[in-house]
Amino acid sequence: MKLAHVAFVAGRVARSLRELLWTHLLTAGVMAMTLLVFGGFLLIQENVGQLVRGWGQEIHVFVYVDGNVDRAAATGLRMRMERYPEVRAARYVSRERAWEDFKSALGSQSGILEGLDPTMLPASLELELYDGYRSRDAIAGLVERVAALEGVQEVEYPEAWLERLRLLLMGMEWLKWVLGGVLFLVAFLIVGSTIKLAIVARRDEIEIMQLVGAGTGLIRAPFIIEGMIQGLAGAALALGLLRAAFSFLGAELLAPFGSLAAGAQLTFLNTWQCGELLVLGWLLGTAGSVLSVRRFLA
Amino acid sequence: MSMIQLHSVSKVYPPDYAGVKDVTFQVEAGEFLFLCGPSGAGKTTLLRLLFRSEQASEGQILVDGRNVTRLKGAGLAAYRRKLGLVFQDFKLIPHMTALENVSLAADVVGVPWRQSRRRGFRLLSELGLKDKYGVLPPALSGGEQQRVAIARALVNEPEIVLADEPTGNLDPERAAESLRLFARINEEGTTVLIATHDPRLLRSFDGRVLLMHQGRLLRREDLEPAASAT
Repeated sequence: MKLAHVAFVAGRVARSLRELLWTHLLTAGVMAMTLLVFGGFLLIQENVGQLVRGWGQEIHVFVYVDGNVDRAAATGLRMRMERYPEVRAARYVSRERAWEDFKSALGSQSGILEGLDPTMLPASLELELYDGYRSRDAIAGLVERVAALEGVQEVEYPEAWLERLRLLLMGMEWLKWVLGGVLFLVAFLIVGSTIKLAIVARRDEIEIMQLVGAGTGLIRAPFIIEGMIQGLAGAALALGLLRAAFSFLGAELLAPFGSLAAGAQLTFLNTWQCGELLVLGWLLGTAGSVLSVRRFLA
Repeated sequence: MSMIQLHSVSKVYPPDYAGVKDVTFQVEAGEFLFLCGPSGAGKTTLLRLLFRSEQASEGQILVDGRNVTRLKGAGLAAYRRKLGLVFQDFKLIPHMTALENVSLAADVVGVPWRQSRRRGFRLLSELGLKDKYGVLPPALSGGEQQRVAIARALVNEPEIVLADEPTGNLDPERAAESLRLFARINEEGTTVLIATHDPRLLRSFDGRVLLMHQGRLLRREDLEPAASAT
């Protein structure tokens, strides 16, 4: 394409944006609303994910040792387990320490333990895991190996919790794409309709351009660029609105989580995610206009 | 060398109306000829077949040795860039100024903006529209619009000019001026084919005239009575 063609296409895009300003603004606005909903969901997912990952860090594996394992043997077990790739640290909890921890957890109700044998609780090893090994499958593998060790009586980990967390994150991921799919379809159709309107409005002009020898690319390019601009403008507007909503609502978003969110920090979408949303808007605008142009400018 | 060749070209509209019937003729490169006949004779249809706004039902059209009968897409666009077209209904874009309308044809072939405006302005000046270059077509008279359409057809210095009733809305003085312009570009080597039903245009013309009647090209033996009728 010659430089003169580039200038020509740019001029036609500018003219169309001027002449059909309200139609283009309305489309960019609807596009922005669509991407705002999707971006909002992305924001929620990101923060819930962080919250859940925070909870995940609290997941420890408890290895109860046989009653006949003395402290030296338990230390041997601890050192062995610390060599496992999943284990960040292993802490030995003696029977006495376990008793004290239990009492302290009961607080003012610790009196109910009066008269009970302070050595009734087994000694244990508390395993802290690395970030990448907190999934149910990774923990199950570790548990299997640990349970087979001599001197280990029982291994416990919050399996039900892990399953719930996994389902929650998976559900959110699925919901994101289902919701996204519906919203993208809406945005796609809206951009397509606007481009169709622009084509119909300039039908005579297009015919004249064809008669004076304009190639298909030269005729189609302005409409496709309009779609790109609409998509990009809609995405930028959605990001702006999302940022504003995030600033205004702030900590209120954490309220539904109550004490579960204690200490949690809300974060906005990172640069990469903002870029993704912009690219998504641009792609939707482009795809909607390309389809419309192919259909109505045959 | 023949610039345009038509071989047994027909155009039939459904269900069975023949706009053009079995037309065969040739136009030499650099020739200036008129296609005459009353309204409904098939002149416009024949021109539309030539610039491929319509597709022939039968026959073959060769332009500069190339079969254009079934041209499509990029090939059709490239072919049309060789042509300068003047339409009976002008086909001007109403929201573009006279100069922009003229320059449009140059813009689409990639002529730089400044150069295409300069060419357009020169042609508008030659056609007496120097002061109307910034006016929108709806504010121009029929004759002025027609001259803008002529200027647009000539702006790319095309190899062939196909003009449908290019003087239909012009007073005799302006019509003569436009014809002089066509004659001048013909002298520069451009092939010119003008369709008209106006016999006045032929009075001072000594070139070839093709006569059409009811979709057919009249044969040589038909010419004398037909010519005398005009």
